[in-house]
This record gives sequence, structure tokens and C-alpha cells, in this order.
Amino acid sequence: MIKQVPDAEEIFIDPVKFTLNRASARGIINPADENALELALQIKDKTGMELVVITMGPPQAETALIECMGRGADRGILITDRVFAAADTYATSLTLAAAVKKIGDFNLVVAGESTTDSGTGHVGPGVAQFLDIDQVTYVTSAYVDKENVHCERDLEDAVEVVETPMPVLLTVLMNSNIPRHSTLRKKIDAIRKGIEKWDHDTLNLPPDWVGLKGSPTIVGALRIPQERKREGKLITLDDIPEMVKELYEKGVIGKEEEL
Amino acid sequence: MTELINCVAPDDLSQYKNVMVYLEHREGHLVRGSVEMLGMASKLASKVKEKVVGVALGSDLEPVAQDATQYGCDIFLGAESKDLSDFRSVSYSRIISEYILKEKPNILLVSGTREGRDLVSRIAILTKTGVAADCVELDIQENDRLLVAWRPSFGDKTIDQILCKRHRPQTITSRPGSYPLPEKDTEHKCDVKITKVTLPKEETAHRVLMKKEKTKLDLTSKKIIVSGGLGLGGKDGFKLIGELASVLGGEVGASRPVVDLGWIPYEHQVGQTGQTVRPKLYIAAGISGKIQHIVGMKNSEIIVSINTDPSAEIVKYSDYFINSDLYKAIPRIIESVKTIVPEAGKTAQKSA
Ligand SMILES: Cc1cc2nc3c(=O)[nH]c(=O)nc-3n(C[C@H](O)[C@H](O)[C@H](O)COP(=O)(O)OP(=O)(O)OC[C@H]3O[C@@H](n4cnc5c(N)ncnc54)[C@H](O)[C@@H]3O)c2cc1C
Ligand SMILES: Nc1ncnc2c1ncn2[C@@H]1O[C@H](COP(=O)(O)O)[C@@H](O)[C@H]1O
Repeated sequence: MIKQVPDAEEIFIDPVKFTLNRASARGIINPADENALELALQIKDKTGMELVVITMGPPQAETALIECMGRGADRGILITDRVFAAADTYATSLTLAAAVKKIGDFNLVVAGESTTDSGTGHVGPGVAQFLDIDQVTYVTSAYVDKENVHCERDLEDAVEVVETPMPVLLTVLMNSNIPRHSTLRKKIDAIRKGIEKWDHDTLNLPPDWVGLKGSPTIVGALRIPQERKREGKLITLDDIPEMVKELYEKGVIGKEEEL
Repeated sequence: MTELINCVAPDDLSQYKNVMVYLEHREGHLVRGSVEMLGMASKLASKVKEKVVGVALGSDLEPVAQDATQYGCDIFLGAESKDLSDFRSVSYSRIISEYILKEKPNILLVSGTREGRDLVSRIAILTKTGVAADCVELDIQENDRLLVAWRPSFGDKTIDQILCKRHRPQTITSRPGSYPLPEKDTEHKCDVKITKVTLPKEETAHRVLMKKEKTKLDLTSKKIIVSGGLGLGGKDGFKLIGELASVLGGEVGASRPVVDLGWIPYEHQVGQTGQTVRPKLYIAAGISGKIQHIVGMKNSEIIVSINTDPSAEIVKYSDYFINSDLYKAIPRIIESVKTIVPEAGKTAQKSA
């Protein structure tokens, strides 16, 4: 499962050359989803499993699917329909789970840990629940061994190695591997083969179950963040002792119990 | 069995009462995020004269219940099994959902840790409700007990109000570090109910073969943080940052690009994809002040920034702005601290 997200003017670090590039593309594959795809491709390389890439999004998300097929995915499915717009986690997970069910027999569903456009990492586990399957989140590497999958996952304070029977959903940690490039030949093949397009009818989902209507949470109001006003007092090198003194007298630094 | 079905709303919302908190713990102690959530739960519950209900899972919950009690938990519900000492998404979310369906809380608060995020949307789907994630402000309306949650929008340009009007429990997550820690109250009383449970065999097929603790640096509990960014120009710059941090008795932080470049480990990263901190003093050296960094440190009490660029965005978030090369400014700060502050460097020497 991949999503196209707006490029957040991010500085990208080239993981091979360790140099900085400012990427300029308008829609990019969500960074963690690139790592999810790479992990899925590695599993496909070893096991020969078929790899299907799905995305729910506007028609232009097709380019992201072509890119994924250019890297080695076998099929690309674009889940697109006006009624899917403005879905929250519940409705998004429902729609994606319906698509996975329609694809049918599967061993693994691989998602990114979270999306950069206000994403929260909730969609992957939501899909797993709808499919009634186990999940392993924040995965850094995985391999398939007979009917089980072995994963290493990263937590705030520990690293875990987990074994669980398939089918299972994995969410993959951002930057956990180096995504391969697409090849022009595979991309041309992908364009020839075409992207499948599914709407709510294809998925047998009533329009009021999905998108805004199917979402339990609503955005009530907007407000401009009330930032605390800060003085931004300009300090020269010669003012530094004075500033340090002020901080000390205010008890910001140096008081024994704080140290 | 979960059906592929829409989020059907209950008919009668009045039967939903109390504020439930999912209690995440390590070695008998609540994690910081769960303590923050208990503090928030007490505030919300007292406003509408309801109770705080804590839910915890694990193999030895007695100490967890004690910890929760001190932080304002009124009812503690625990499910205990040796099989629950390992984290298992399926079992955890199922058991928590069973508690929810039985207790019918009006509100559910889950700290947005990796464990919390892993569980919360499974729980929401099992209990047919919505989740407002990464909230920074919560309030409850006294008349209809509707939770008014606020979360930053994409890019942080606005703060959006998120409501879950027709579904229960009204469920939210917040990043750890979003709220201050509540005071401990050793007199607080709590009704502790711990039940032994057995997991169905198919759920134990998920096995944790190995768990290796990481030396995790908890920036959220630090009083002073000195962070370096790309303006350092190279990995060696962190020596100077480290020196300033140690005379101040503080810890080293960093922006994301310097972490990605391998100048310093990830555990030092502050910001949207790092830790959210609120120290008494935050010093940002060679950091431009992009919003993804700002969201992780803007609640610090005092912010000092050092930047050669007088128009850097960080200026408007600073109490003091030192418009200078950090390699000139930091040695001057170190020198001043050493002469002005008698306690300078003491802790650093103790722990070194
Ligand atoms: C989804 C997403 C998540 C992100 N998460 C995070 C996050 O968690 N944390 C984070 O920090 N960033 C995050 N970022 C990246 C963020 O957008 C910025 O790219 C980053 O914060 C910039 O880092 P910087 O300030 O160190 O570098 P720059 O923006 O390059 O700034 C360097 C600054 O140093 C100054 N400087 C240069 N030389 C000197 C000198 N000798 N003395 C003093 N000053 C000097 C320059 O004037 C400049 O202002 C995220 C981005 C995205 C898209
Ligand atoms: N519209 C979508 N289409 C396909 N996959 C998605 C979509 N939204 C989210 N996902 C997947 O779910 C993961 C977590 O997303 P989120 O919960 O939005 O942070 C992403 O990394 C994707 O793998």
C-alpha cells in the first residue's frame, strides 16, 4: 500500500553519496512507503511471490504506481472515486481492506509506518484489523520462512525480533533500507500493461460508508496557532555574559536542584 | 471476527461515561506519555464529575496499579497473563476493546508512542469509533460531554478542531511530551481489579523471539538541551555542542538532517519525527527553524538561538537571538557560564 503525498520541500539525503538534494517534484511517493515497497520487492525476489501495489488517491496518483511497477511490482491498482475523498482513518482503512479482499489470496500486506501529510501511522493497523490478521509495526527488516515471517522491529527503547504466521500486515520504518531505482524498460512495460482502476462499485462499498460520509471524525473549526510571543532579543558576542547572568538569576541555569 | 462494515453509531450516547486511559508500562512503571494522559484524564473527568479508568495489560500489574493510583487513576482494570508480557497487537487490542465495550467510556486517551499507535486504530475499528491523532489540546464541554480536540494540520499552518460527535469512546492520541506531568498524590485511592486471563492458542503463534533493550536517551525529561544543526558544518561540531551541554548540566539535541548524515544518533533528534521536548532552556545552534523542528521544541521555557543569518525563521521563536558564528558564540557562552555559575559542570563531572 503506497500513497502519493505532496513534497514537503524536504532536504533529501542521498543515502549512497551522503549529499544533500532539494527535491522538486510535486507529488512524491510517501518516504516510508518507498521503504515498504523495497522490503516487499526483496521478499518477492527471494520467494517469487506476486507483488501488487495499491493506492487510494486522485487520478494523478497513477504516476506513483507506474514508478512502483518500474521498480519491479507486477500489478498496480488505483482506487479512485470522488466518494472516497476526505476519508479519515476508519474510512480509509475500510476502503483499502476491501481492495485487499478483492485481490483475494495474499500472504503479506506491506505498508509504510506513516505518511508525511498529516499521517499518523493508523491506516496500516486499521487495515489489519478489518482483514482480521496479525500485524508487526515499525519493521526494519523481514524475511519469509515457510509459512512464517520473521521481522526485526524498532521500538523507542528496544529492538524486537518477532516470528508470526502469515497472512500478516507489516508496517515498515522510514529509512530502514535503500530503495532501488526504477528502470525505463520496466516503466514502459508498466505503461503498456496499464494501471487498473477501481471505484466504490468495483469494491461493493456503499457511497455513504466511505470518504467524508463514512468518517466518524469531523474537522469542526480551524484556528491560527496562538504562539507564545517571544522577544527575539538580539544579542552580540559582547552581550553574552549579560545574557548568561540573566538566565542564572532567573533560575533557568545553574540552580543546584536543576542540575 | 471483524466485518468490513462502516462505522455504525450507537443510538444512546448517554450511557457512555468516564475517561479511560490506556496505561503503557515498563518494569512496573508507567511510561511518561501515559502519566501525561492520566493528568489530562483527571482534568477532563473532574470537569464533568466522572472517573478516570486505567487499563493495563501485562504479567505483573500490581506495581503498575500503584503508579497509576498516585497519578489520579480511580479505577484500575488489569488483564494479567504471562503471555501478555510480550506485546501482541491482536491480543492487546482485543482485550482493551472488550473492556471498552463493557465499561462504555465516553473518552479514551492513548499516548502516541509506537505501542499506542500500533493499538489505537485496531481498537477504534473493533469498537466502531474515530481517532483524533497527535492532539495538542483537549477540553470537554460540560453540557453534552463532547470532547473538543485540537491537532496541528499538515504543515502546522492551522490548528484543526477534531470532533467525534456520534461515536464512542471519543478516542485521541497525543505525542509524549505534549502535556506537563501531573503532581503525584500519594493519598489518592483507586479501585484495583486485576483479572487473570488466558490467550487463545492461535494468538500465541505470534512470538517475540528476542528483545534487546536500547540505551534510549529520553530528551523529554531534560531541563536543559543544547541542539546543533547543519550550521555546525561537520560532525566535529558536536564536540563543542557537547561541551556547552556538559557545563550547563544538559543534554545534546539535534535537527534531522544532521542525524540523517550520521553526525549524531537518532535518539538525539528533536522535532516532528524525533522527540518533543519542553526543557527550561533550549539552545539551538546552526538550526534554521523549519516548522518540523519547531514543533518539537517550541514549548520550551526559554529559547536561545545562534545563527549567522539574521533572517532565519528561528528568530521569531527565540527569547534571545545571538546573530553570530556559533564557533565564536559558544566558547563565549561556556566561558561566561564557568565564571558566573558556581555549579557549572558539576553534574557533568559526576556522571563522567
Ligand atoms: C516529514 C518531515 C519530517 C521532518 N522531521 C524533522 C524533525 O523531526 N526534526 C528536524 O529538525 N527536522 C525535521 N525535518 C526537516 C526540516 O524540514 C528541516 O529540513 C530541518 O529541520 C533543517 O535542519 P537545520 O536547521 O539543521 O538545517 P538548515 O535548514 O540547513 O539550517 C542551517 C542553519 O545554520 C545556519 N548556519 C550556518 N553556518 C552557521 C554558523 N557557522 N554559525 C551559526 N549558524 C550557522 C544557517 O544560517 C541556517 O539557518 C522534517 C522534514 C519532513 C518533510
Ligand atoms: N490513501 C492510501 N492509499 C494507500 N495506502 C495508504 C493510503 N493512506 C495510507 N496508506 C498506507 O498506510 C500507511 C500509514 O499511513 P497513515 O496512517 O496515513 O500515516 C502509509 O505508509 C501507506 O502504506
